[in-house]
This record gives sequence, C-alpha cells and structure tokens, in this order.
Amino acid sequence: MSVIKTKDITKIYQETTIPVNALNGVDLEIKKGEFTAIVGPSGSGKTTLLNIIGGLDRPTSGYIEIGGKDLSQLNDNQLIDFRKDNIGFVFQAYNLIPVLTAKENVEFVMLLQGVSTQERDDRVLELLKAVGIEEKANNRPMELSGGQQQRVAVARALAPKPTFILADEPTANLDSKSTEDLLDLMLRLNKEEDMTFVFSTHDQRVINKARRVITLVDGKISTDEYQNQPA
Amino acid sequence: MILKLAWRNIWRVKSRSFVVIGAVTIGIWAVLFLVGYMLGTVNTLIKNSIENQVSHLQVHHNDFKKDREVKFFMDDVSSSLEQIRTDGTVKGATSRTLVNGMITAPKGVRGVQIKGIDPGGEASVTSLDDKIVEGSYFDEKTKNPIIIGQELAEKLNIALRKKVVLTFQDVEGEMTYAAFRIIGFYKTHNSTLDELFVYIPQSKLNDLIGLEGSAHEIAILLDDLEKADAKRDQWQGAFDEAAQPYLVETYREIAPDINLYDSQMSISITIIMSIIMLALIFGIINTMLMAVMDRYRELGMLMSIGMNKIRVFSMIMLETIMLSLVALPIGLFAGWATIAYTGMYGIDLSNYADGLNQFGMSEIIYPSLTGDIYLQLAVMVVTTAILAAIYPAYKAIKLKPVEAIRKL
Repeated sequence: MSVIKTKDITKIYQETTIPVNALNGVDLEIKKGEFTAIVGPSGSGKTTLLNIIGGLDRPTSGYIEIGGKDLSQLNDNQLIDFRKDNIGFVFQAYNLIPVLTAKENVEFVMLLQGVSTQERDDRVLELLKAVGIEEKANNRPMELSGGQQQRVAVARALAPKPTFILADEPTANLDSKSTEDLLDLMLRLNKEEDMTFVFSTHDQRVINKARRVITLVDGKISTDEYQNQPA
Repeated sequence: MILKLAWRNIWRVKSRSFVVIGAVTIGIWAVLFLVGYMLGTVNTLIKNSIENQVSHLQVHHNDFKKDREVKFFMDDVSSSLEQIRTDGTVKGATSRTLVNGMITAPKGVRGVQIKGIDPGGEASVTSLDDKIVEGSYFDEKTKNPIIIGQELAEKLNIALRKKVVLTFQDVEGEMTYAAFRIIGFYKTHNSTLDELFVYIPQSKLNDLIGLEGSAHEIAILLDDLEKADAKRDQWQGAFDEAAQPYLVETYREIAPDINLYDSQMSISITIIMSIIMLALIFGIINTMLMAVMDRYRELGMLMSIGMNKIRVFSMIMLETIMLSLVALPIGLFAGWATIAYTGMYGIDLSNYADGLNQFGMSEIIYPSLTGDIYLQLAVMVVTTAILAAIYPAYKAIKLKPVEAIRKL
C-alpha cells in the first residue's frame, strides 16, 4: 500500500531573475513500513522534495498523494490540519517548544487533535518509554542533551499516529553515540510499529542503516535502491 | 494548552516583557494621576465658585438676568426665604440686594458690585465670616460698616477702620451715596471677585436705594449638589404657581463657565488618554513584533506540525493581552494609591497661588477619581492591547512554514 506517491513533480524557484529548477520530474512511490533515505549532494533537491512530500510546499507541477489524498485539493488551512493528523516531523535542530517540558512537547499535537486527557497521558507515557527518556518527562528541552531532545522530537512526531515520519537530516547535530541510538530507535519503531520513515541525510551511518536509498541529482532521481532487507 | 503556552512565552525574554509591563503600568498610572489631578482642579473650581459666589441655586426676578437694574427686585423676600428654609435639603439660604456702583477712597476709585447682605444668612451660605483675614465680620457696634476684599484694599491703598464712599443709583434711578467704615478685609480663592465685591448690611442698602423688605437675589446652599436640578424644578414650579415672576437657576446655569470647564476637562481627558494609549499601542506592537520575529522559526515549526493559523493568531493575541493584564492591576493600584495620598494631603501649588487665584482656583489641589474612571481605563487598556496585538499576530500567521523551516 502506497503511503506517498508523486508523479512528475517539478519545482521551479523564481526568487531571482533566473529560475532555479529544484525538482525536474520526480516520480516516487513509498510503501507503508519503508525506511527510506533520500540522499544527494547539496542543491540536489532533497529538502525541496521533503517539503513537498510533507505538505509544507507545493510543486510547480505534478501530482502528489499522501495516504490516498491528493494534496493539490487542499487549501493552506486544510494542509495544516492534514499535516497535524498525517505527518510526523523530525527536524535537524530538534525544534522542540522551549517553554514546554518533554512530556508537554509530546502531548502538544495530540492537544491540537483534541485527544482526551486520559488517552493523551497514556500515549505520552508509552512514547517516552519507547524512546527511552521517561525519566526526563518533566525536563524542558534546554535541560536535555541533543540526543535526548531528538528522541523527544521522535516521540512528538509519533504522537498523532501519523501516516509516516519525515526527518530532515535528523542526525546532523548529533554525536556518534547519539546518532547510533537514534537510528536504533527509529529502526525499532519501524519494525515494531510498522512506521514509515522518510529522511534526507548526508550521514553515511544513516545511509548504511536505511533499507531503501533514493539518490537525487539535479532535481531528478538518479538511483533508487533497496538494501538491508528487514529480518 | 494555548493559554499555558502563551503565558510561558511571555516570560521567555523577561527583560522585554518587563519593559512592556513597565510601559503599560506607567501609562495607566500617568492617565489616572493626570485625570485625577484635572478632576481635582475642576472640583476645586466648582467648589470655590459655589462657596464664594453662586451657591447651588439662585432666585432672581425674571428680568434681572437680562438687565441687572435695581428696579428688577423681588417683593416680600422674607416669606419666600422662610418657605425655602423649611425644606430639609437646604443647608442655608439668604437674600441679597445688589447694586453696581463706585467705591471712592482717599487714594483711589474703583467700580464695584455692592452686595447688601444679611450677615447671619450670608454666613450660612458663603461662610463669608470665615474668609475675613483682617478685621472682623459685621457686628452691631459700627455704624455703616463695610467689608471689602484684601485685593481691593491693596488696589485702593486703604487700611482698616478707614472710611470709603459708595456711589450708586437708587430704585428711581437717582444717584445716591453714603460713607462706610471698613471693618474687615476678606480673601477667597478668587482674586478677581475679591476686587469686585464689597459687602454692606442689606438693611442699610435697602434704605439707601428705597427698597423695603425686597431683594434682588436669593442664594440657596443645599446639602447635596446633585439635588440642585430637582430643587430648581420644585421651586420654579411653586413660584410659577404663585404667579411670581421669579427665575430659579442652578449653579451651572448661573455660571456657565463651570460647564465650559467641565466639557473642556472631558475633552482634555479624552485627548490625554488617547495619546497615552496610542503611545502604548506602538510600544506593544514594537515589542510583540520583535517577539514574533525572534520566534519566526519556532512559529514555522508549530505551523508545520499542525498548529493552525487561528491558534497561532490567538496565541500571539493572548500573549499581548496577558502582558497588559499583568500590568493593569499594578498600574491601577499605583494610580489609586497616588490619588488616595494626594487626595488626602493635597498637591501644594502655593508657588503659583497668584495665577491660580485669578482663575478662582485654590493653591492646594486635591486629586480625585470616581470608580468608573478605573473601569473605563481597564477596558481601554485591554482594548489597546487587543488592537496592538492584531498586527504582530497577523504577521505571525502570514509566515510561510516552508520558509521558516528553511532557516532551521
């Protein structure tokens, strides 16, 4: 079953007098439970593709479908709601809400969804346990290490039970140990909860762990390979 | 959660929040103090005007107001006065005979208004006896006594116990004159009127101008200024019923300048409030815009993960309103405390007494405020905060998450 489906996606930035073709006809299909890395040199279109897949940006042309929903049919407000319920984001710089505790950060999107208190509490506890930082539940982000913050970010991304998780260079700011731990965590969640992960990365350690590696060059998919088949 | 988030957000950069809170607090305090001071000034003016000159109500012959001639007098004033004095709301009432004339002293001549008064009745209405600063009030000992203002005495360069001559017209329009001995100098808070009014016994003046048992004016002091309109209507009705051609007027009708001061004060208060609130609006907009710009990436992230525009807008609005709500009680309390203290002990403007007295104002001003001013200001501050929050909140929702995310 396809979670993400794009057809002939193009994106042209016209911010200066010279148009920049960030994506040049990307056809992509990602199925449920895949653990996919999008790689490529700087300027290859990784972030643009991720933004479009995440509903943060719109393609200049082409078709995109997430969980069977045609995103071109949604206006800006509907897109926000769609993201809330369907896409979990993990950012390079963690981007937790600094004034909320780890628990409150994880809880935040569920509150936006209108999930009941009891259900929220149960899910937050379960997620914090899953990412291994339940003892830091009442700490604010500035009291956590980079690795711990990124774990909270993963828990927050999982909280609304999204269709897939989109991670933009999630290990870029982490040390080796934290990178290893985070990858293990994501792989475990992928395996145990059948959660779909799509991430952009430059990090060879991440690429090595991915099961599918899509390489972008000049806004086009140059290679699309499966590796490390799940056990 | 939005409430909690907004509340915590305002304490992220404490120094910035304290600047806004401080600005709003000082703004509120300044408005309260200025309004209190201005109201205190007007109240003093009205009080002085009532106490020294107009009282709460006055009765005249219908034609007297148009043309202050001696012939427009009221007959049998004593029975009207008796009736008025029986009313429970009346603190004091007196009749006066009024003529314009000249006062001649050895070293000067001035135009004056001669007030023939009943010493006892006058004391109950204007407390003239308490305003004697040199000499004494009327007594039985001196023949043809006169009390003049200290200001006039200085202008005439005349001392106590000296004689002056008053010249004026009698009821037939004939010139008449009489010599009087100065028994006292009075001083009110209105130096202009102190130069103008001289007081002699009413019986003497009536003899000189040929009026028996009559007067030109009845002045009435009530126990409450607010009852003036109702009493005016009541007594006007009674005079009309008795077919007496008398006109009853309240202090506002007699001295329209009081209305002018009142309306000018209202306009001034509105202008002052508007200027201060306008300054606050720009201060708040500036601070909240900085807060929004500082959190550009974070707001983008919030919108990325599903916080819709209404919630983002509400959060920024709430943050601004909360800042104002923190400042509001502090400002209100500071204003109230200042008004309470200065209202009790007064603001001493003795250095400017000469100028103030020329306008009928005391040199000590007692600021005062009514509860509705506090309420109005509270509503204005919250409204100001809401207005000031709109632009930063609008800027926040106009950001594009993808652009904000690019900055991650």
